[in-house]
Amino acid sequence: MIQHFPVMAVMLLFLGAFLVAIFGRISPVIRDGIAILIATISLVLIYALIKPVMIDGQIISYWMGNWEPVEGYAIGIGYEVDALGLFFALLVVTTFWLSGIYSLGYLKKDANKMHYYTLYLMLSASVLGLVLTGDLFNMFIMIEIMTFASVALTAFRNKQAIALEAAFKYLVLGSIGSSMTLAGVALMYRVCHTLNMAQISSIIGGEFNLTTIMAFGLIVAGLGVKSYIVPFHTPAADAYTAAPTSISMIFSGMVNKAGVYGIIRMVYVVFRAMDRSSIQILLVVFGAVTMFIGVTMALAQHDFKRLLAFHSISQIGYVITAIGLGTALGLNAGLFHAMNHTLFKGLLFLTAGAVLTATGTTNLDKLGGLSKRMPVTTVCFLVGAFSISGLPPFNGFASKWMVYQAIYTKAVESGNILFAIATITALIVSVMTLASFIKVTQAVFFGQENPENANAKEVPVIMQIPMVIMAVLCVLTGLFYNVVEKFLLAPAAGAALGVSNYIDKMMGAGYAKAAGITDIEAAPAAFSFWNPLVWLLLFVVVFLGVYIVMATSKSTRGRMLEGGEGYDPKYATFFSGEQEEFSQVGGSDLFWGFKTDWKGYYKVLQGLHSGIVTDYASYIVMGAAIIILVMFICLR
Amino acid sequence: MKFKDGIKEKNIIIKCGSDVFLPFSLIFALYVILTAPVGGGFQGGVLGAAAVLLIYLGYGYDVTRNSINPEILRINEACATTIYALLGFAGLVFGANFCRNVFYANGWLTGFVHDGTIGLMDYAVGYNVMTGVGFLLILMLGFLAPVEEAKKAKKKEDEK
Amino acid sequence: MIIVNYIASVFLIVLGLYTVCTKKNLIKIVLGLGITDYGINLLIVSIGFNPGGTAPVYYLADLLNGVAPNFFVDPVPQALTLTSIVIGACVDAMALALVIMINRKYKSVDADEIRRLNG
Repeated sequence: MIQHFPVMAVMLLFLGAFLVAIFGRISPVIRDGIAILIATISLVLIYALIKPVMIDGQIISYWMGNWEPVEGYAIGIGYEVDALGLFFALLVVTTFWLSGIYSLGYLKKDANKMHYYTLYLMLSASVLGLVLTGDLFNMFIMIEIMTFASVALTAFRNKQAIALEAAFKYLVLGSIGSSMTLAGVALMYRVCHTLNMAQISSIIGGEFNLTTIMAFGLIVAGLGVKSYIVPFHTPAADAYTAAPTSISMIFSGMVNKAGVYGIIRMVYVVFRAMDRSSIQILLVVFGAVTMFIGVTMALAQHDFKRLLAFHSISQIGYVITAIGLGTALGLNAGLFHAMNHTLFKGLLFLTAGAVLTATGTTNLDKLGGLSKRMPVTTVCFLVGAFSISGLPPFNGFASKWMVYQAIYTKAVESGNILFAIATITALIVSVMTLASFIKVTQAVFFGQENPENANAKEVPVIMQIPMVIMAVLCVLTGLFYNVVEKFLLAPAAGAALGVSNYIDKMMGAGYAKAAGITDIEAAPAAFSFWNPLVWLLLFVVVFLGVYIVMATSKSTRGRMLEGGEGYDPKYATFFSGEQEEFSQVGGSDLFWGFKTDWKGYYKVLQGLHSGIVTDYASYIVMGAAIIILVMFICLR
Repeated sequence: MKFKDGIKEKNIIIKCGSDVFLPFSLIFALYVILTAPVGGGFQGGVLGAAAVLLIYLGYGYDVTRNSINPEILRINEACATTIYALLGFAGLVFGANFCRNVFYANGWLTGFVHDGTIGLMDYAVGYNVMTGVGFLLILMLGFLAPVEEAKKAKKKEDEK
Repeated sequence: MIIVNYIASVFLIVLGLYTVCTKKNLIKIVLGLGITDYGINLLIVSIGFNPGGTAPVYYLADLLNGVAPNFFVDPVPQALTLTSIVIGACVDAMALALVIMINRKYKSVDADEIRRLNG
């Protein structure tokens, strides 16, 4: 019975999408009821797989229509659920279920909600199918359905010009990515005459010839477009901004995780290239560049959702860096950070949606002082902001600590200067993330209140529930990181490294051994002791110390700034600014000094993000060319 | 649709051609769909959907829009996909995997379900493609329609 | 000659990408996407083609008795191509619909003017 659960979860979502299309016009209750009911059933079916797959270590293989392999050749479409696939499936079902609940309240004023729920269920089904499938072409189909549904949902509020613009860019750039994936899949079929990932893995056996290198490069570049690593990140920033917020949450929680999953599956399981240092360095460099450019662009943003979008890109950089290390610890860290990113970035997008609902804008310069009017949202936002900035005891701290530790260990072991640079980049990016969220906190929830928002109210309870659930999950996964590590991360990382199990379960016992496949040798993940509570205590002590010093010394408080001869407060080191007490500095300009110092850098970078679709397309082609070129040089 | 100067409506030959070929094309589409067990559903569906284009070529957008209701096409498409998915789940009911061919070679309805659910699923594909592509074509033609109306309005203004 | 197919498919793919990267008219960008798609379809069909093979439609009994020739073209790439063509048609339809709606909002189909989301 249990082996039917994955395919039932996927197919029920597709079925639900069409049931909503048939019966949605009858009444809003039926429409919402079908959507939420189907999403809940799917959630339960996937959660029921935790015990057999994660704890007992089973791998579920499933052949559509009972078309099982004949004479060692896979002829049917297979679903294969191992711990890695299930790990991402858990993220997917959690995200879309919470998003569905949230959208019940969020979409009150929108028309055409039937189209929304149809597309929402199709998007959920396609991402779930992508992470559960064991067939390369089926994966491509799911990527395409995902792209279509995402584009249509980005353009959902088609009264706004930017929604249409973002949707068009997403469609053009996403199609280039899918086309690259399809070309890679076709070349793999030429070499292996099969589309089953387990069998391809055993046929290739970690060796490369010219065709497979080309295919590998094309597939990784195509999946890179879906996970928005840096030269491919431009559609993400636009789409996250323009889409309804419940969909932005789905994008950052599931859609780019699907790309990350694809990259892990390809480099670890199908092509088994992670024991080569060239591929490790390629992924780590792309990841480090992604996190740095993402966070610096985020510092320059004036729009709440666009800022979060660039942070999302930056955090994906952490994940790619960590999984690119090729060690068990790195894989653990990357998966943990992917999970935490789903939780805290989803939470932050939900609070952005709450702010949009309450005030009607997400422009940071027009917001301010919402903490009194929206207490629940503020607390949830603070939890999310602390998590993403990596403050203990929240989950972001735990996973970032693991990422630092993994990169540092790798740098010490291999003695490669690039890994050391990546470690330092990760630390700097974390500091910049904190700075950026201080800015948002100041600009939106604290600071001066904008009189236009005087009648802002707290959002309805149905929208608060998902936020509170996510905030609680953020705290829990941070406090009980060892439980998460034992029951979710370790099986998933083990599944990515233990390739022969994957092949044997799909193609029949002994198949991997006959093809001469061995698992990737990796030292088991070893953590040095750390405890978030100790760190929390340390931060409390430091905070109290700083606060006491600030409170007792008069020189830093308010009016005292005016005094002194020849003292121009505009250029003071720490408290620079206009002399008038109530001079209005825009909320998004909190770090204007930083931006002035980096004027040249920002000029170049903002010039590159020109908003012209042809420029973005050329970045994608160039990025793909770089990946393919590096692979040809290193893997030959 | 662009008309030359002095021509107000479609040529009678185009209208007659559309009238004459419409039944044949629909019959042919149905024939191809009914060869479904060897995979005629998709092709037949596309042929059937081409009827929309035939009406459009013969009579223009307004008549097409009046004679075919896109809303009904949309609901029919969703029904077709639902039927396909339910037939897929029929495999589960009979203890096999999703999409497994069941019910075959049992002589029901003198061979209509002789090929089992796989044949019915291909009919569903034909149904789905016919309605889906037809819906898509009407939508695309609809995008062009306001341009025509705007042109007509402009012409009227010019005449005034 | 099958090699001609491969050269033509790579030429079409590169031509399509070149169109997307250089042309500023949105309609031309959509055409470029279409050309890339056709190139990939040609690639997939060429991969499954066996020179001299027949169509792969037989009864199983014929195949086992040796009545049917056992040298035929690979049917899987043809199925893949069919799927890919459908997806390509959907991409084109959706992109053109978006272009028409963008044209109504922005009064332009020039990529240089459709850049409100930047920086």
